Amino acid sequence: MNAISITGLVKSYGKVAALRGIDLTVPQGTIYGVVGPNGAGKTTLIKTLVGVVRPTSGTARVLELDPLNDKWALRKQIGYMPQDAALYETLSARDNITFLGRAQSVEDLDQKVSEVIAFTELVSRARDPIHTFSGGMKKRVSLACALIHQPKVLFLDEPTAAVDPQLRARSWELFRKLAQGGTTLFISTHLMDEAALCDKVTILNQGKILLVDSPRDILKRGKTRLSVTSRDQCSQAEIESTPEAIAQKLHEFGLPNDISSVEVEPSTLEEIVLEIIREEPQ
Amino acid sequence: MKHSLVIGQRVLRELSKDKRLFGLSIVGPFILIYFLKIFIDSMPPYFPAARYAVPFAAFIVHFFSFILCGIVLVQERTAGTLERMFIAGFSRTAIIGGYVFGYFGLATLQATVVLGETLWLLDLDYGGTTLLLLFVTIVMLSIVSVMLGILASTFARHAGHILPFIPLVMIPSIFLSGLLIDPEQLPTWAEWIGMLLPFRYANNIIQELIGSTFEASVVYRNLLMLAGYICALLIIASRTLKEAD
Repeated sequence: MNAISITGLVKSYGKVAALRGIDLTVPQGTIYGVVGPNGAGKTTLIKTLVGVVRPTSGTARVLELDPLNDKWALRKQIGYMPQDAALYETLSARDNITFLGRAQSVEDLDQKVSEVIAFTELVSRARDPIHTFSGGMKKRVSLACALIHQPKVLFLDEPTAAVDPQLRARSWELFRKLAQGGTTLFISTHLMDEAALCDKVTILNQGKILLVDSPRDILKRGKTRLSVTSRDQCSQAEIESTPEAIAQKLHEFGLPNDISSVEVEPSTLEEIVLEIIREEPQ
Repeated sequence: MKHSLVIGQRVLRELSKDKRLFGLSIVGPFILIYFLKIFIDSMPPYFPAARYAVPFAAFIVHFFSFILCGIVLVQERTAGTLERMFIAGFSRTAIIGGYVFGYFGLATLQATVVLGETLWLLDLDYGGTTLLLLFVTIVMLSIVSVMLGILASTFARHAGHILPFIPLVMIPSIFLSGLLIDPEQLPTWAEWIGMLLPFRYANNIIQELIGSTFEASVVYRNLLMLAGYICALLIIASRTLKEAD
């Protein structure tokens, strides 16, 4: 069963088209990334799926439920972490998490709050007011709020934007742990190194899907810049990013004994995505 | 109902932790009542202090509840917490009910401080029933104010947008609801506008209660009008509080 399925989804704000005919499916238990520049439609897509944006046309189903018509049944099963922390600044982390847990009528709430605080490594700051937290810490509290009712599908809108690399790595360890437990994660990001950690990636630009593939296969679309240096010359070539293509190219060079080094510099995911976006006619 | 209490509890907890906001919403009315006393002291001895002071005290609670609730709810929207409440499973009615519960607590405190200070500073003395009815009137008026604040917040994109609602919703009450002059002395069209303002009915009750004797039917009829306002605004606010764009 797919956790999310979308067909022909369109959302327009007056003359501005935020989503222009989106079709995609997300299998359960995967980490699904939506990559694109600012204004690509990532947030609108997520908000449509959680039922706070009404699509102009098309259908969206999350766990086979309509986000608007079946909202009460759906909201018990989804978690949402918005782009901004969206927390009550004067309240403590524990109070914020407890408040949203009460909305879901979570059983053994105190126990669950403690568990989610431990999971997001907030134990030492749990009783501090949010306004004393750093941006990264607020994101962690926001994640804890989204996890309190153990959702089956978790929507994360730019979850690690403006977060330091160490905390980002730790956050991704948590995401991976959740996915291993069967949770489907739908993550929007404009950070390509983050997209590379997803199981599958959709490239979104100006409300349109340009490509859906695994990060590994997207990387194969890139070129590898190959530099071969011998005693008296230096040759450079741009080839496919596969081991076979590299080997074939090196055979052309004859691999003589005096070759001292072979440098391989594949395109980054960011370069490939930007190239795909550039190639799309405006 | 359970969800409304959860939200109300959170609103109160937030207010109690935000010492500056909490202090201002109590200290502000307290200072204004003192200014009113200075003003009344400068009036001739036959000036009917109670006729102006008690409705003015009620108006202060009306004004502060409206502004506070409107601004805080706009902040909820801009910070994304309102959207998060919806996604977490709180309904529109629960959210409105929660705000009413939360601000009911604050309004009760404000009403106690403002009414107590007015009676004390101006040396006014009323019986227990009159005091209770005055208190109930001010608290009901504050619930109407919270509803008006919720309604205004739905038209505001940021906290500053609440300000234009002050001359639109609050200031006409000063001139057309009987706070300064008897509404019957106004042109008919102005009197009709005054009848649309909830403060008119609160003022009717107060004027009736502070007289030497009061007609219970007049008091209850106007209390019923305030209750009607609460119901009507609850329905309108729950329809205008947008859940999905």
